[in-house]
Amino acid sequence: MSRWAPEPPRPFWPNGHEAARDGRPIAIETRGLRKTYLGKVPVPVLHGVDLAVRAGEFVALIGQSGSGKSTLLNILGALDVPTGGTVLINGQDLGRLDDDALADLRSQEIGFIFQEHYLLDEFTCLENALMPVTIHEGDASDAQRQRVVGLLQRVGLGDQLHKHPDEMSGGQNQRCAIVRALANAPRIVLADEPTGNLDSTTGAEVFALMRQMNRESGVAFMMITHDDRLARAADRVLLIEDGLVHEVDETLHRPGPGAAR
Amino acid sequence: MAPRGGRRRRGGPWRFERQVAVRHLVAGGGQTWLTVSAVAAGVIIVIFITGLIFGLRQDMARLLTESIAHVTIEVAEVKPVPLERVPGAGPGPSSSRLEQQAPQEKAIDDWPRVLDIVRAVPGVRLAAPVVRRQAFASRGANPIGTTVVGAEPALQEEVAPVTENLIAGRYQGLTSEEVVIDAELAEDLSVATGDRIRLSSNTGASDSFTVVGIYSRGRGRGEAYVTLRTAQSLFGLGTSVNAVLVKMVDIYAADQAADRIMALVPYEAKSWSREFPRFLDALKVQSAAAYLTSAFSLIASSFAIASILIVSVLQKAEQIGILKAMGARRRQIQTIFILEGLGVALLGSLAGAAGGTAIVYALSLVEQPVRRVGQTPEQLFPVAILPVYIALAVAAAIAATVVAAYLPARRAAALNPVDVMR
Ligand SMILES: Nc1ncnc2c1ncn2[C@@H]1O[C@H](COP(=O)(O)OP(=O)(O)O)[C@@H](O)[C@H]1O
Ligand SMILES: [Mg+2]
Repeated sequence: MSRWAPEPPRPFWPNGHEAARDGRPIAIETRGLRKTYLGKVPVPVLHGVDLAVRAGEFVALIGQSGSGKSTLLNILGALDVPTGGTVLINGQDLGRLDDDALADLRSQEIGFIFQEHYLLDEFTCLENALMPVTIHEGDASDAQRQRVVGLLQRVGLGDQLHKHPDEMSGGQNQRCAIVRALANAPRIVLADEPTGNLDSTTGAEVFALMRQMNRESGVAFMMITHDDRLARAADRVLLIEDGLVHEVDETLHRPGPGAAR
Repeated sequence: MAPRGGRRRRGGPWRFERQVAVRHLVAGGGQTWLTVSAVAAGVIIVIFITGLIFGLRQDMARLLTESIAHVTIEVAEVKPVPLERVPGAGPGPSSSRLEQQAPQEKAIDDWPRVLDIVRAVPGVRLAAPVVRRQAFASRGANPIGTTVVGAEPALQEEVAPVTENLIAGRYQGLTSEEVVIDAELAEDLSVATGDRIRLSSNTGASDSFTVVGIYSRGRGRGEAYVTLRTAQSLFGLGTSVNAVLVKMVDIYAADQAADRIMALVPYEAKSWSREFPRFLDALKVQSAAAYLTSAFSLIASSFAIASILIVSVLQKAEQIGILKAMGARRRQIQTIFILEGLGVALLGSLAGAAGGTAIVYALSLVEQPVRRVGQTPEQLFPVAILPVYIALAVAAAIAATVVAAYLPARRAAALNPVDVMR
């Protein structure tokens, strides 16, 4: 699948039909997505977001701090519910799913990577990476185990399988978390500043791994980042501003320095 | 709906939940031990208290079973009747009360018939005709009051055993010239076996007997045993007796048996529980105290468990968030914490059962100081090791812990990933 500029510039109008035209199914789609945090003072964050991410795409999501990137990602991952609008994940309307069905969707369709690795201290690297399988199936099959061990070897953790998170470096833990996000072979990975806690060299390595996984397995990635260089290495860049999502045409509009951080 | 097929389960039920719960407990270290100890303490208290109370209860029941009649049949006592209720009695100048004329002979003349009837009453183990009256025992000057019981030794042994409590001499083969007395009376009269004492009835009749046996049941003053015929002649009862003593198979069935007997014979039948109501009350109060103390200690330990688990849920909030983000269902999170509670309950209650049993066993070995030579040493704490109550304590502790775990577990299950992962 194509990566850099080869794709011809196209007007961004995130709309299912449009996106489906290039032949790949849509993995993530939102229509008129709204979110207002209801507290003592209501905080409106998303004002009607329309977007579409196709299967296998690597999309970077940028925007100023507090612009609603995490809010959007959490809603896409069924961790939070929108105030209005619809979210379709692989064609399924999240609004129509009950609690268990949402859990199953998170289990099977989506992998999460966060700024913090959130590995479980009580478990080894391999056990952590297998956790989504364990949650869903009780115990991993030999094939699943082999696959996950293979992924851990691919990210350079082949000799860390039985170490606990506190015995590994930040970069190693984040790589383990990436494998964990892929354990159930989801079609979508949502990553919220996955390199935010890492130094730039380690961050670049971790990013390269995600990009590699994306290309090898065709998993769609949606990654929040503050790092322009990383954003530029994505297939597409979406900017969230004033509660709306815009496509950033890299060749024309470079996101200004204000956009990141 | 399940996106790609339903949930298969490999590795046995709750493989994931068990694994996480066990890791939490192992990683919990001191906190886990604290919780386990709280459960163990609760179980130890329950076993200890029930062991003590039910030991006491068994001891009392044994005392009852062994040394007193469960139902006593006697000629009805004459009660003072208020004057106004006596027909034909006008207002008298001297007394407001009038004693009904008591029958001259307070005796059960037809006792063989009574025995036949009583022995047919369900639950009656045996019935013994006896003469039982107050008398004075003396050797030389000062007479000492005592209860004289005339009974067939074989039957008497069944009502209240003598031979097994003998300190000296014998009881079996008692002749009309012989008496067996309790150790306290022997001390007061300063007599030993082979000495002679005099027994005098309140009618003035008296006779002299050889002390052939001295016994002690270890509790207070006992009775002086003579043969039935001797007592009949000493108290001028001819061939009558003045009491029939009944032993029951089940001591708690005495009330019903007494009612039944009253309906069948023209005498008064008193059950032990009505004769000594405080005794029964004491038994009831003790059991109630045991149950209450047990309940309170279990409640206290389940509060301890609940609070420790609530803290643990708070500590694990972030982890619960990530587990849910990875697809764990509410139910699974809840099960993890219930299993943790169950694990703590099993460890704690088994440790408590072992500890409690050991303590109760150790206590049961402590003996009362022997006061009299020849007296069989008795337990200082009449504790009972009751497997049923130990099992109940374990089961109750497990139930209490699981109930205590339920709330924190629900709380954990309801946590929202976006709220706890920031
Ligand atoms: N749970 C919440 N309750 C109220 N306001 C929230 C909550 N979460 C986020 N916000 C607010 O919503 C806005 C967007 O937050 P967020 O999505 O985390 O931004 P970003 O990830 O782009 O930095 C911010 O103003 C933030 O303060
Ligand atoms: Mg954020």
